[in-house]
Amino acid sequence: MSLNGLFRVSRAVKSGGKLLNKTCGVGSTDSQSPRFFRTHPRSLVYAKDLFLGNIAKKEVFPYPEISNEELDELNQLVAPVEKFFSEDVDSKKIDEEAKIPPETMSGLKELGLFGMQVPEEYGGLGLSNTMYARLVEIISLDAAITVTLAAHQAIGLKGILIAGNEEQKARYLPKLSSGEHVAAFCLTEPASGSDAASIQARGTPSKDGKHFLLNGSKIWISNGGIADVFTVFARTEVVDKDGNTKDNISAFIVERAFGGITSGKPEDKMGIRGSNTCEVHFENTPVPIENVIGEVGGGFKVAMNILNSGRFSMGSVSAGMIKKLIELTAEYAGTRKQFNKSLAEFGMIQEKFALMAQKAYVMESMAYLTAGMMDRPGVPDCSVEAAMVKIFSSEGAWVCVSEALQVLGGLGYIKDYPYERYLRDCRILPIFEGTNEILRVYVALTGMQYAGKILTGKIMDMKKGNLGVVLEMLGKRLRDTVNKKVDFGLMGKDGVVHPSLMENSKKLEENVYSFGTTVESLLYRFGKTIVDEQLVLKRVADIVINLYTMTAVLSRASRSISIGLRNHDHEVLIANTFCAEAYFQNNYLMAQLEKNSPENNDDSIKKIAMQVLEKRAYVCSHPLDRTF
Amino acid sequence: MVRTTCPAMNCTRSLLLARVLAALAPRSPAPRSPSALHTASAGLFRSKHASLGQRATRLPSRCFHSSARRPDAKPAPSSERSDQEGESSHTGAGKTLVTYEDLFERAARDSRTKATFTRVLEVFCKEDVRRRGHVEFIYAALKKMPEFGVEGDLSVYNKLLDVFPKEVFVPRNYIQRMFNHYPRQQECGVQLLEHMENYGVMPNVETKVLLVQIFGEKGHPMRKYQRLMYWFPRFKHVNPYPVPRELPRDPVDLARLSLQRIAGDLDARVTVYEMPSTDLSECGEDSSRLYVVGIQSPDQQTLLSKHNPERPVFVEGPFPLWLRKTCVYYYTLRADPLPPEEKVEEPVDPERSFFYPLELDLDLDRDLGDDDDFDVDEVEEGPVFALCMASSGDQATLSKWISGLQETNPILGRTPTVFRLNSGPQEIQTSSEPERKEDQDLLQSRKMTQ
Repeated sequence: MSLNGLFRVSRAVKSGGKLLNKTCGVGSTDSQSPRFFRTHPRSLVYAKDLFLGNIAKKEVFPYPEISNEELDELNQLVAPVEKFFSEDVDSKKIDEEAKIPPETMSGLKELGLFGMQVPEEYGGLGLSNTMYARLVEIISLDAAITVTLAAHQAIGLKGILIAGNEEQKARYLPKLSSGEHVAAFCLTEPASGSDAASIQARGTPSKDGKHFLLNGSKIWISNGGIADVFTVFARTEVVDKDGNTKDNISAFIVERAFGGITSGKPEDKMGIRGSNTCEVHFENTPVPIENVIGEVGGGFKVAMNILNSGRFSMGSVSAGMIKKLIELTAEYAGTRKQFNKSLAEFGMIQEKFALMAQKAYVMESMAYLTAGMMDRPGVPDCSVEAAMVKIFSSEGAWVCVSEALQVLGGLGYIKDYPYERYLRDCRILPIFEGTNEILRVYVALTGMQYAGKILTGKIMDMKKGNLGVVLEMLGKRLRDTVNKKVDFGLMGKDGVVHPSLMENSKKLEENVYSFGTTVESLLYRFGKTIVDEQLVLKRVADIVINLYTMTAVLSRASRSISIGLRNHDHEVLIANTFCAEAYFQNNYLMAQLEKNSPENNDDSIKKIAMQVLEKRAYVCSHPLDRTF
Repeated sequence: MVRTTCPAMNCTRSLLLARVLAALAPRSPAPRSPSALHTASAGLFRSKHASLGQRATRLPSRCFHSSARRPDAKPAPSSERSDQEGESSHTGAGKTLVTYEDLFERAARDSRTKATFTRVLEVFCKEDVRRRGHVEFIYAALKKMPEFGVEGDLSVYNKLLDVFPKEVFVPRNYIQRMFNHYPRQQECGVQLLEHMENYGVMPNVETKVLLVQIFGEKGHPMRKYQRLMYWFPRFKHVNPYPVPRELPRDPVDLARLSLQRIAGDLDARVTVYEMPSTDLSECGEDSSRLYVVGIQSPDQQTLLSKHNPERPVFVEGPFPLWLRKTCVYYYTLRADPLPPEEKVEEPVDPERSFFYPLELDLDLDRDLGDDDDFDVDEVEEGPVFALCMASSGDQATLSKWISGLQETNPILGRTPTVFRLNSGPQEIQTSSEPERKEDQDLLQSRKMTQ
């Protein structure tokens, strides 16, 4: 049985690989996106399908690969970048002086790192998402440079890249990808973080009708002090088809040379100190009409697309950082001796390394799975998956760095060593590019919307007391309790998971199935008011994230073992351990989501918070206080 | 027994009292003025004799009726006592009490302070080791406490309790313990504790030690003490919005405190539109009291800015607010609730949140089983935009408030403002002077009925 399964999987993988090889050749002739794999176009709904209790296994199995040629090319790219970062980048100095030295910047430019995803015809490297993820994994060795580069190309010039017209691309992209110009993304305002309605910056048409005059202030702009090209979002008056004027948001490409732009002094930050963050003020900055990205008044969609597309890389950034940290701390744990034993022999220290290895493995798996999905043809919407990658890896990074510091003891707290810098640097990850809280709501609500559309009819029937539907439901529940067999075909005939992961693939299937019923009951209970149930949404998001991570590691480990990658047994071990734990977590979370669940303390939690927030202070009396 | 109907005993007590009175006149010249002493003691004797008859008849009602069936019956209800006291002070019947009160009256001649009050206690204690007449003395002292302003002072209560002779009233065997031992003294002790209770004074360990010394571990006063100590700590912080014991004297500060209390919004900003000018050069007294203190929260500002300027806003008041014994008056700026036809529900802008959908496009509503809201019929009231307190409630003063508000709420300049003022008090009143309390109470009750 297990041999059969093995054979089947490896066959599937092989054929998948072949397919990829083949398609790549075809793809490279395509001028627009040379790296996209060409298969039949389809919409990607893996994460959304989980909400219906389905596993769309074709989306995630087999684990995406890149062709040998691409891998060679990538390795050729990786080697000099790795060399540059290990030899020429002094992270300590960058952190202390809060500035990236010009020679480092020029080195980055020479390596072409300012235009990694810009197509070759505009002077960029033209990397696919997968290759981009691989490269930023190395760049992550210095967080300040990572953030500078990400602000430049993951959001700064992304607007031009995905929504700009040909002239705009031809005009701006070459200089941006060579690094001659640096880009910045200006969305946040003092009164507006996630709320578009409170954006104050305004673009008013000039009298001759050829320009917009831009006025307003933006805060916390990465690269704001060094950028030459800004993607700015501002309100503009738009007349809609009914003749009403509306204040909609438009996206502008603004050059510093247009005039009227002043940058505040760089903010003094806790981490990522080398990156430049400051306020940017626009005062009657004339912006030519042809510099509007997309349509006038269409800036909202542009902003959303940019934000959604920039997140997936955080998985490989975090993974890169943790892998480096594991090396550093393992070295210490192996050499430091106490009681004639090295630290590595103590169970509690070992546990920390197991945790770090697991997290890094999961982050990598998720990041490259998502990148691979994004590299598929068409414009696949992987925003939910990307958000999940961001949430998991940013939080995982914080936990891992904290644990690593624990291994190092006092050493981790001393500024002479690099470790504390990692801690400071990675604290920004859960905050920027959409805080994890906001992204959780996004993940949960997007899935709920998708599932709700499909389930509405069924739930309405149930509510109306349609006997047939209710009986069917009851019958299904009864059958489930008596003889529950969930099979989404991950194993067995046409199975996609390697038999050594069988147990955990069953657990995944079981989790997915019960998640489907959970979602259904949540929709039944809350309907559209689930928007206001943030604690429910948080759990839903956590479950989906767990399901997606389980999928990613199962998929990756299956591939590794099937093609015989080095140390694949270690991977299987990690995958099994991780999945077993995630399974328990999911079960607990779903138990909490049941109605009147004793595990669920939400009401009390809300009450505590309300009482504290009402007073805006800690409410309890001091333990030493007395009344008589 | 201390209490007795023998006239001779009463006479001795009166004599004693006279001596106490004499000792209480510290500022009298060294050779005591014989006439003063004489008149005092003569009066005492007279009153003593006059009251003798009534005393004898009233005696039973003042004692506990000890009975074996109700060994720990509560002391006689206090109302009876106070009735008698009140009655006696009016009819002149219970003159004994009056004489003890005289002690305080005399001491109060120079000042009514804690020092003089405690001096009276000390003098009484020093005069006689047996503390004769201490029960009456304590009752008189309790009655006088508010006048001396010591009704909230625990140390004074302890001093007063110290007047009781120690160990005399402690039961020594089970029979004494079973019956009501020294009922009058025990009742007096309970009364003292009840007095403390009424003024919210929490006893301390010293009180307990004294009570144990005087009445023993299981006496009625001890029980009372235990009940007090059970409930008082529990009720001490039961009010989530405590009023400070000492209210600020400055009317502006008082207004600030009161307004913040009503507004209940930590964001609300207090603005003093007109500070009291302290120079008395021009208008004298009146100008020094001119002030308007207003409060408005950012939420109220937004509400006001959305107000339709066609519709008037109203300045209404005065409304009373009680802070302990002080009543202050405030005014509101409000509008009528929107008529239903003008209400517009703003649809959620789909292009509002960059990160997540603000609402779901679903037909499903919340299930009834998960709808935890109570079914409440809400009466809609108009929005209140701001509150103020002013030195006087006339339109001129209040329009200064409105014009001050206009600086932060420009919409008020375009909105008609209607003053709907009741004739109210002209200033914030404090009942710090007890003399004025009566007519002020009258005034307040009149306001309430209005």
